Amino acid sequence: MSDIAKPSNPNDDWKIWMVVNPSTWLMPILFAVLLIVLTVHTVVLQLGWFTWG
Amino acid sequence: MNGLTEQQAKEFHAQFKITYTAFVGLAALAHLMVLANNPWF
Repeated sequence: MSDIAKPSNPNDDWKIWMVVNPSTWLMPILFAVLLIVLTVHTVVLQLGWFTWG
Repeated sequence: MNGLTEQQAKEFHAQFKITYTAFVGLAALAHLMVLANNPWF
């Protein structure tokens, strides 16, 4: 197992798409980001530091 | 690996970097506007 070459990032970053197929996973990734964004906004707005408008 | 050729993976990654940089840029701008309008620190 240890004879597998270590990647050197960021030069080899693109190789992630040889493992994670974007035609399958791009939308799930974007929905996960949306879920995180909505959660963080909800929590932060409930802190009471901000009033909307 | 998963059906993508090296060329396709590199092409997709190039676009992914552009789009992600734009996303971070817009988010940073939005945060600066909130900071200017309603400082939280």
